Amino acid sequence: MLYTYARNKTAVNIAAGGFRMKINVMQDVLQANDRIAAENKQLFKKNNNLVLNLMSSPGAGKTSLLEKTAELLAGKLRLGVIVGDIETTRDADRIAKYNIPSIQLTTGSACHLDANMVASALPHIGLDKIDVLVVENVGNLVCPAEFIVGEDYKVMILSVTEGDEKPLKYPMMFKESSLMIINKVDLLQYTNFNLEEAKANARKVHPGIDIIEVSCTKGTGLDAWIAWLTEHHKKKAGSR
Amino acid sequence: MHEMGVAQNILDIAVAAAQKEGAQKITRINMIAGELRGIVPMQLSFCFGIVAKDSIASGAYLNIEEVPVTAHCENCNSDFAVEEYQYICPKCGSTKIQLTGGTELRIKDIEIE
Repeated sequence: MLYTYARNKTAVNIAAGGFRMKINVMQDVLQANDRIAAENKQLFKKNNNLVLNLMSSPGAGKTSLLEKTAELLAGKLRLGVIVGDIETTRDADRIAKYNIPSIQLTTGSACHLDANMVASALPHIGLDKIDVLVVENVGNLVCPAEFIVGEDYKVMILSVTEGDEKPLKYPMMFKESSLMIINKVDLLQYTNFNLEEAKANARKVHPGIDIIEVSCTKGTGLDAWIAWLTEHHKKKAGSR
Repeated sequence: MHEMGVAQNILDIAVAAAQKEGAQKITRINMIAGELRGIVPMQLSFCFGIVAKDSIASGAYLNIEEVPVTAHCENCNSDFAVEEYQYICPKCGSTKIQLTGGTELRIKDIEIE
């Protein structure tokens, strides 16, 4: 027996002595995260911050890229960094040497940063003194892509030592990212990484993705990255 | 990898909705999960069983309906299923496409007693 109980409720089963009812819910599972991310985003907008969610697998060069970025942006745009790691403050310590605001979030065991963790760092980092805020996510090619933190863009790093097939293996990460930075191109000659293949694979899952090739240790290609940052900061500032 | 967190969110939303109706028990939760969300149903059900223990959803059946990835081509207006993550229109070859399905992660309804 099935009848409409009310607009959003349906009695699905009336057994002897028991009454079961179906309730319409229609809520996104990650709505709690998305709500906090939206609050973060408001705060970033108010302070005119360009916010990037930087993701990669462990060891691809997120912190190295940020060290170079701190060096190259000095005197142009004010950088701030929130670093997520499962343990230790090593990454934030590396960044702090460049005299830029940085906060380390240790997630304990969580595989990604979520909007709430990032929100907890915001009162302490001084958003009004930052132009570009980079949220360096936990090294992981899977989970971070699922949780928005209030960023304007997701940026990911693929290093040549990881393999050119990664975009096809971890499509969500590449699909969600506006920019893919290919790092460690100085090691190309020692690996079987095919640069063109890697780009083609990334474009298969995300046709519009921007791609920049760099070597953080040799310092090559970083001017294109700085130009990308500057252009997108200008775009954000202009949209106010 | 983050099924535990997702399970906790599912529990929170379901319990809040059930309590609003004065329910004593949640017997079933019907949800949809887009393929792009990378949810492993068996793992999520397992995690849900753990977080739901000692709640009114203890023993509830988590029904996960998987949604395939679909897209709409802005060039030739055709709708198609995206296979193997190839975001290209099979009809006209255009890459100007909009996803129409596959990113959902939503609770549809719950059954209560």
